[in-house]
Amino acid sequence: MTVNRPNTVSVGVIVWLGSEVMFFAGLFAIYFTLRSTSPELWAEQSAKLNVPYAAVITVILVLSSFSCQAGVFAAEKFRPVRTGRLWEFWKWGAVEWFYWTFAMGATFVIGQIYEYANLVSDGVGLSIDSYGSAFYLTTGFHGLHVTGGLIAFLLVIGRMYSVKNFTHREATTSIVVSYYWHFVDVVWLGLFAAIYLVR
Amino acid sequence: MRVNVNLFTVLFVFFLVADFAYILWAYIDSGGQRIEWVGAIGIGLSAILAFFLQFYLRLTQRSIGGPLPEDRVDADIDDGDAEQGHFSPWSWWPFLLGISLALIFLGVAVGIWIALIGAPLVLIAVIGWNYEYYRGNFAR
Repeated sequence: MTVNRPNTVSVGVIVWLGSEVMFFAGLFAIYFTLRSTSPELWAEQSAKLNVPYAAVITVILVLSSFSCQAGVFAAEKFRPVRTGRLWEFWKWGAVEWFYWTFAMGATFVIGQIYEYANLVSDGVGLSIDSYGSAFYLTTGFHGLHVTGGLIAFLLVIGRMYSVKNFTHREATTSIVVSYYWHFVDVVWLGLFAAIYLVR
Repeated sequence: MRVNVNLFTVLFVFFLVADFAYILWAYIDSGGQRIEWVGAIGIGLSAILAFFLQFYLRLTQRSIGGPLPEDRVDADIDDGDAEQGHFSPWSWWPFLLGISLALIFLGVAVGIWIALIGAPLVLIAVIGWNYEYYRGNFAR
């Protein structure tokens, strides 16, 4: 009698994402502790944030999670590349959806860099005060995670082009990258709520 | 796996209760002045960590369709001999990745130029490791 073993790659990625939860817990703790010790500084500096702008790039990141999931559904049907014309998005394969996800994720990172540039010229800097340190540490580490996810998407897309027989192993790769992407997306929703809405 | 699911469920409930108790206690201890954020967030996200793991393990357990040998008292050793996963028997890429990451961290500690040598090596190692079974003799 044999039973299917749990997929070590998926379970391993989930356990690693659990450790990432605690990494961001540390960053959130830094942010809220500094906020409770210098409320006046927080009121002054967080007034410089452009909330509507951040809301737009947040929406782009959330939408990228949906297109990522559409790519996973295609991969689970063992459809790495599209079966129809380019504009027939309902026939897209995982590759097309992941390119689209990559574009939206890259838009988010570029948007964040532009936001940083504006904030620096408004006097919010990494080593100017504790608000700047907390802001750039939390959003910056998140931005690095998004960048890492973008590299992962490139590797997954490359695998789909290079593989001869698309099997469960390639589907698993897409699924675990999507786990990571959804995780990073949810973390951003937490950061957005803490930094831009609660302030 | 059933044991793991139950353990993480218990941990979730424990951390949840502990978090409420911690927040309340620290609040009262400071004379109603402030919330102690480090513990409040640390313990609270520990609860989320435990919930996350029990949730995923529960889904995995459901999808494998039946108890694993380690959950049965009447199982034999060879009941668990199904394929465990794919592990490369001779890959040098993890070694190169380790060395390159060591160069990056060494560079951060003693001089950034060493990290600049390490960074492209990390890129080579990551790509090499990722495509090890997609090219050459072992291409799939």
